[in-house]
Amino acid sequence: MATPTIAVGDKVPHGTFNYIPHTPELDDQLVCGTRMSSYMNSNKVVLVSVPGAFTPTCHVNHLPPFLARYDEFKAKGVDIIAVLAANDAFVMSGWARVEGLKDKILALSDGNAEWSKAMGLSVDLSHVGFGLRTARYAIILDDLVVKYLGVEPGRGVTVSGAEAVLEAL
Amino acid sequence: MATPTIAVGDKVPHGTFNYIPHTPELDDQLVCGTPTTITTTDFFAGKKVVLVSVPGAFTPTCHVNHLPPFLARYDEFKAKGVDIIAVLAANDAFVMSGWARVEGLKDKILALSDGNAEWSKAMGLSVDLSHVGFGLRTARYAIILDDLVVKYLGVEPGRGVTVSGAEAVLEAL
Repeated sequence: MATPTIAVGDKVPHGTFNYIPHTPELDDQLVCGTRMSSYMNSNKVVLVSVPGAFTPTCHVNHLPPFLARYDEFKAKGVDIIAVLAANDAFVMSGWARVEGLKDKILALSDGNAEWSKAMGLSVDLSHVGFGLRTARYAIILDDLVVKYLGVEPGRGVTVSGAEAVLEAL
Repeated sequence: MATPTIAVGDKVPHGTFNYIPHTPELDDQLVCGTPTTITTTDFFAGKKVVLVSVPGAFTPTCHVNHLPPFLARYDEFKAKGVDIIAVLAANDAFVMSGWARVEGLKDKILALSDGNAEWSKAMGLSVDLSHVGFGLRTARYAIILDDLVVKYLGVEPGRGVTVSGAEAVLEAL
């Protein structure tokens, strides 16, 4: 399990993420899209981090409820919902389209798990050939300050899930 | 561009790949599947194999232009005696499985993970794409193996698909 070095009340470190913004052309899953850089700005943000695109738990159980309950997040004043993993932006875009995220949830690439690592939120999965990945966690940011941090202690989705985040909002 | 250290006539080094075999359950793109490990010895020995390597799943060129013709012309490959067609990249097995399903590969083309581009690197066929945040990846190449011996190697010299494409490989078979 990751050992976070950041806590509620702290400001997050600066981070830069590659991602492919959703456009209608991308509904054709064989279209590639153009990479852009994004960074967290001063909004109310819900970030969900998963160890890998297309991997078990996150693929089926972690991410879909965030999409299904999108309106509830918006009703609570959330400006941006994003999913984060160490996979590159092209993989994140491919995964986002399989998951049907469209323009509701951004799929960001935390390359080399760099930003997550800066907060003690990376996990070394080299023993299964995955290299350094982002841990499974959810974070609520308000003007770049941590309002909630739920780091999953083991398998399964509890404190980093949609239900827990909605309760914390 | 990669500088291959392997040539036609050489035997390929031993390689281990993770992959998720296709099963009907996986037609549901939200099902995950279980990775398994195969080696060049168990899987490729005694067989005619076409391997296509791409720098990354879902990336331009390979996603749209490189891989689809191999799938479209599957019957032509089979008619030429090819036992296995596989696509290779350094992405993990879950990503390869997700991509394989978007591409509709089913059980026709295996989507193998050359983790850390290790096997490709052993043949001088990896590329360092750290400057774009991708880390070490497999180069864009196609290889025909017959009982683990290289019969054809087409390493793409630049952007675009030429010597590593379906047309070039079919001509070489």
